[in-house]
Amino acid sequence: MTKHIVCDSGSLISLTSSCLMDLLYFFSKKDIKFVIPPAVKEEAVDYPVRRGIKRFLFSALRINNAIKNGTLTAVEDPGISIETRRMMELANNMFFVRGKPLKLIHAGESEMLVLAHQVGIDYLLIDERTTRMLIEAPFRLKEHLEKEFGINVMINKNNFKQFREMFGSMNVIRSSELVMLAYDYGFFNKFEDMKKQVLEAALYRIKFSGCSIGFDEIREYLRG
Amino acid sequence: MVNSHLYKGEHLSSLKYLSSSILESFKKRRDKKLRKIKDALIKEASINSSRLYFELAVVAYILSKITSKPRLTGPEYHGYLKEIEVAVRELANATRQGKKDEELFAFIKKIEKSVNRMERVDQRFFRDLVSKGRLKLAATMYAQGLSLGTASDMSGMDKHDIQDYAGNTLMFDRVKEEVRPKERMKKLKRYVKK
Repeated sequence: MTKHIVCDSGSLISLTSSCLMDLLYFFSKKDIKFVIPPAVKEEAVDYPVRRGIKRFLFSALRINNAIKNGTLTAVEDPGISIETRRMMELANNMFFVRGKPLKLIHAGESEMLVLAHQVGIDYLLIDERTTRMLIEAPFRLKEHLEKEFGINVMINKNNFKQFREMFGSMNVIRSSELVMLAYDYGFFNKFEDMKKQVLEAALYRIKFSGCSIGFDEIREYLRG
Repeated sequence: MVNSHLYKGEHLSSLKYLSSSILESFKKRRDKKLRKIKDALIKEASINSSRLYFELAVVAYILSKITSKPRLTGPEYHGYLKEIEVAVRELANATRQGKKDEELFAFIKKIEKSVNRMERVDQRFFRDLVSKGRLKLAATMYAQGLSLGTASDMSGMDKHDIQDYAGNTLMFDRVKEEVRPKERMKKLKRYVKK
């Protein structure tokens, strides 16, 4: 049975930056499919191509190729934008500082959550930290914001409850977890006796490409 | 530092106070103070989703970099520094007069142009100083807790660039994760094997 995972643009950026885009093709052959909403396609492909941003063009074209050959599914649902606005309103009125709402997430990040919710996909591939923490650890995010701003952060209970009801049960993975799963599935076997070393290098590479994983977590992965 | 009688009643986070502090600190070449002002401005930018505070933070950051280099305060740079000071004074006056954000952005652009002119005398230092400052502060907002998309939107910097920059910092090591690696992999393997 096909398994679907909704991705954010951050994870696509990490994978292309670290030359690990092939993971998507690898998993596609194992019936694990990746889905993106219109905003992610816009950020990762259309915007760099339209503006001719040479630094990102190669990544954009590679992602576009993955869409063309069906490895990555780009959803075009006009209904998403209305729900996205509603969801953004919810998420950006959850935390309050000095009586004013804290605008934490952007349309692209919201759209990914809305798509997953609408189509019933419970697995998200998010390398970006804030959206992931909003789902997994909202109180830890609150603590972090308080520490950074040196100020109390209040929570709107109603909005928080609604958000948790919609997204609290979703599971988030990062591109680092894809790398680990790929290792288990034999992706690195071609490196033979160096495969563990290559795995370690790939995890660090994905971290330095912006995947929100810490050094301690990488060490934990490698310890097995 | 700042003449307190001029700013009586102004909240320390206010635009008027901070922009005037930038001027005073630049005149006195106080790089550490400018860094503190930059921190205050970026905090306000994040809390208030304010592009204006962000741009002012970039100004404070650039000026702190300039004043941190003793060689840049030598006589051959006086003309350029004076030009920057004049531009910063105009900005401080404009904020005191309560001018609208669009007008203030124009004053900020003037400061950046004056800084960029210093590339003639020290290309290595001044080249891309403004854009590097903008990227660093965008990454700071992401590190503080705003999402990558929000930081990108506020700063005008590309997500790719901010993510790449953030990946080379310790921001992901500073917040302890709630879900440990073993648990993530257990759930993922269960999902894909169903």
